[in-house]
Amino acid sequence: MPERETLVLDGVDIERGGRMLLQNVTLRLCDGVVAIVGANGVGKTSLLRAIGGALPPQAGTIALAGVDVRAMSPRERARAIALVESAEPAGATLTVADAVAAARFPYHRWWEWDATPDDEQAIDDALQRTGTTALRARELGTLSAGERQRVWIALALAQRAPVMLLDEPTAHLDLRAAVETLALLRRVAANGSLVVAVLHQLEEAAAFADRVVVLGAGGVIADGAPERALTTETISRAFGVDVMVERRPEGLAFHRRLAELG
Amino acid sequence: MLAARFAGLAALLLLAMLIGVAFGGASLDPAMLLRVLLHPHDGSDAATIVWQLRVPRVAIAATVGAALALAGALLQALLRNPIVDPYLTGVSAGAGASIAVAATIGVAPAFIPPLGFASGLATSVLVAVLARRGPRLDPERLILAGVSLSALLSAVITLAIERLARGTASEAIIAWLAGSLAGRSWPELAAAAPEALLGLAIAAATIPALNVLRLGEARAAALGVDVTRLQWALLVAATLLTASAVALAGLVGFVGLVVPHLARRLVGADLRALIPASLLTGAALVVLADVLARTVAAPAEIPLGVLLAFVGVPAFLVLYLRGGARAYA
Repeated sequence: MPERETLVLDGVDIERGGRMLLQNVTLRLCDGVVAIVGANGVGKTSLLRAIGGALPPQAGTIALAGVDVRAMSPRERARAIALVESAEPAGATLTVADAVAAARFPYHRWWEWDATPDDEQAIDDALQRTGTTALRARELGTLSAGERQRVWIALALAQRAPVMLLDEPTAHLDLRAAVETLALLRRVAANGSLVVAVLHQLEEAAAFADRVVVLGAGGVIADGAPERALTTETISRAFGVDVMVERRPEGLAFHRRLAELG
Repeated sequence: MLAARFAGLAALLLLAMLIGVAFGGASLDPAMLLRVLLHPHDGSDAATIVWQLRVPRVAIAATVGAALALAGALLQALLRNPIVDPYLTGVSAGAGASIAVAATIGVAPAFIPPLGFASGLATSVLVAVLARRGPRLDPERLILAGVSLSALLSAVITLAIERLARGTASEAIIAWLAGSLAGRSWPELAAAAPEALLGLAIAAATIPALNVLRLGEARAAALGVDVTRLQWALLVAATLLTASAVALAGLVGFVGLVVPHLARRLVGADLRALIPASLLTGAALVVLADVLARTVAAPAEIPLGVLLAFVGVPAFLVLYLRGGARAYA
């Protein structure tokens, strides 16, 4: 990834409902897959939404390739950053093709209603890469949770933005669908995009991310490669739970000492 | 905290009822009021005024208010919709239509309250039957059935009033309420067309963004839709269009509710197709309805709004509700 696409957070404060969640978050994200982990309510989703320009930070700047995301027009931002909103319900009778076609909105001015060859190409490409080509004519309401998640990722791909942000992309997915989703995101990153995902399962973060950012009360607790960021000490600080981290050849394993919870 | 609020509300009701008993056409001083309240049968004029006129009146007012508020709270909770009104189930339009017809043909006043009650109930039952899906009530269908049957019955009321109002000073108002194009020509069109065209232009500019909004507000915002600006633009456009239609034709119901549903059946839910199709369907429908309005009872005219309700509502109920309503996409 060329340096000019670097996403830089500088001294970012995030407040939600009058409560300061995160203070002085400073991160430089370039490429690969970055996982954001942390306890419920710590501000992971708010941070993601701030990066996506959907939530103004209380202080600090968030810039992509040197341009403040808040200074971009909504369409410029949508061409630069794809924010995957999996949780929001959408019209159940919308077809997959129609949903993914909406990704091309930021490339059109208001009088340009028709799809261009570029649009067709981006949509076909996105459907193919997510394995959803066969679902084109299906209505969203008839899809499984895993299929629907692939459609939202296809939508983000068709946006052709260099940065993709995802909030808990594996929530409500069974084991197989979760693994397939994460593998798909790895392929997206391998194609040169920066993928930033909020994840709940530490095993998923360890196995799938190039880099893990651990958020705790007030800010960043750890940031680095999974085996450096996810340690007994950082997990204890972030979640208040005592976990034994075991290094195995196939990745990190986390053993909860549930007895200590009483 | 909650107990204190309830105590406050109960005190407010008692105070309101006391005021209701104390004030009226005849003035009663507080001492006399207290005396007749304690001695209902002392045979005085004051006792008659208080116990035969004011107390029952206050009791009726309290009953009406309590019943409507309770019904509204129940239906809003059931349909999980904050704008539902108890009249949604068709009770008011059903009662109103039967009373309007009864008044036109000269039914004795004593029969009117039971007639209203019975026809209100009958309309509600019909709405419920139409909204049924299997053993259950579908909230969306209940609202659509209630609104459209109410439109039909309101047309009956309008027609009855229109007949009674002929030759009186209220004729012009009634004609406007009934919706009509009688006597309209170029000057009226010239006055309303610019507003309508402005509304159309704004609408056209918002269609691609509106299409993206089908994915949900947060997703649309992430795709570059300025949702706040879109909301205001649409409100302005819809207001301009509605105001110019009302200025031209009076109240023409049914078209705005039903035509988009019909257009969706024809061209699908993509707004780039649905919105132009709605425009064309609505225009064709009103032109044809107006032809019927001025020919069916010629030389007299049937009000356009009334005619549209009579023809359109049954068609809509058959097509949409019995044909299987689908979730709005």
